[in-house]
Amino acid sequence: MVKEIERAGFPVVHVCTVTPISLTVGANRIVPAVAIPHPLGNPGLERDEEVKLRRHIVETALAALQTEVDDQTIFEVK
Amino acid sequence: MKLQLGYIDINDIKFDKNPRIENGVLYVDPDALVASVLQDELIKDAHFEIAKPGESIRITPVKDVIQPRVKVEGPGGVFPGMVAKETTVGSGVTHVLRGMAVVTAGRIVGFQEGIIDMSGPGADYTPFSKLNNLVLVIEPQENFKQHEYEHAARMAGFKIACEIAELARELSPDETETFESPTIKESFENFPGLPRVGYVQMLQSQGLLHDTYVYGVDAKRIVPTIISPTETMDGAIVSGNCVSACDKNTTYHHQNNPVVAELFKEHGKTINFVGQIITNENVYLADKIRSSDWSAKLAEYLSLDGAIISQEGFGNPDTDLIMNCTKIEDKGIKTVIITDEYAGQDGKSQSLADADPKANACVTGGNANEVIHLPKMDKVIGTLDYVDTIAGGHQGSLQADGSIIAELQVITGATNEMGFNKLSAR
Repeated sequence: MVKEIERAGFPVVHVCTVTPISLTVGANRIVPAVAIPHPLGNPGLERDEEVKLRRHIVETALAALQTEVDDQTIFEVK
Repeated sequence: MKLQLGYIDINDIKFDKNPRIENGVLYVDPDALVASVLQDELIKDAHFEIAKPGESIRITPVKDVIQPRVKVEGPGGVFPGMVAKETTVGSGVTHVLRGMAVVTAGRIVGFQEGIIDMSGPGADYTPFSKLNNLVLVIEPQENFKQHEYEHAARMAGFKIACEIAELARELSPDETETFESPTIKESFENFPGLPRVGYVQMLQSQGLLHDTYVYGVDAKRIVPTIISPTETMDGAIVSGNCVSACDKNTTYHHQNNPVVAELFKEHGKTINFVGQIITNENVYLADKIRSSDWSAKLAEYLSLDGAIISQEGFGNPDTDLIMNCTKIEDKGIKTVIITDEYAGQDGKSQSLADADPKANACVTGGNANEVIHLPKMDKVIGTLDYVDTIAGGHQGSLQADGSIIAELQVITGATNEMGFNKLSAR
């Protein structure tokens, strides 16, 4: 899906846990997710902390979307 | 570490009030065994059935397959950290009931468990159709969570296997076999001219009913470590798996690991079998990085020339497999990987979720997506209620005539990635 949407001319950020697979399949902008069963959250955190984490992952992805890349790039969630 | 296995051949199983093993026949008292199972308050009801090779019987949903073994000499007991104390096992003498298994089945978790057919085309796809199976069918209490059922069913299987194995404690084995794993010093002294080969075994540890236990420890909480292959023969590693039955290792697989058997067979002849590394397949990328780094570090520490890596399961563990492979190759150690394939029903899709040119020696256990047709059996042990929803089944898998059309995935042990089965793919 990542590649097909890009082929249609839209930049894509692939948020995923197993970034090596993302690299293998050819995604260009990659944001590491939390874990396979809960990619965009962490049930181990308190609600407020988790909200911060979720927002932060999405913000990292949005920033990645606006960044020019020459090669496959992983944008770490800091 | 030196372990002698004494095989007691079991050619038949019968119910009898006087439990014993006599002339290759195992006699068990189902009432006494049921009473033992019912000591767990999570289990509402249980009963035993016997399934023999060639009978028109379908067992489903299968949870685990367990070989009864009993420690007769040396420290510890079978299934350390589960049934016996955590004492290190793998030396002394262990008696093995060969030709039979305890199979746990029934409405345990409620979905995603395997099928064993005792005859017909389905029987060819599972090694367990060739055994005399004592099947423990469990009915759990209501209002408990799935993982609690899983624990209760798992423990019931081990407990029953141990109780049965006690009958073999005083018997003279039909055959014995001795296995010895060297210390590092011995491994250098014994066969200096032969290539040093190790076994890297990946253990399923994704959680949510995809789990494996090592001496009672949940494998997702271990860092890779070295284990003597003889420890695994005493039940140091057990299954807590019940999803996608074709390529999950049952406890029986761990007890009878064919990679270990073959490496011991070649030990001192074509190779120097140095040792076994166990690692996990966790759902966090950080764990995948750490564990594959450590398995490569341990392979280097053992000064291996070559390593055989076996995977368990599929999907994201394909990445663990490739990370193990590439990192060990980067240490200058040759690798062979053993996996299976999810190449689509027509076999034309990409087989693994991850790949690398360094993974250039691969053994496959077959395509789990292949569609098979299983004719109706005269008797069902367990229930057909979940045939449509187990992994590999689909809406309508169970046909009106009682036959089943599903992917090979549904059959317990069909595409085993230790190479326990005879299947492969072209």
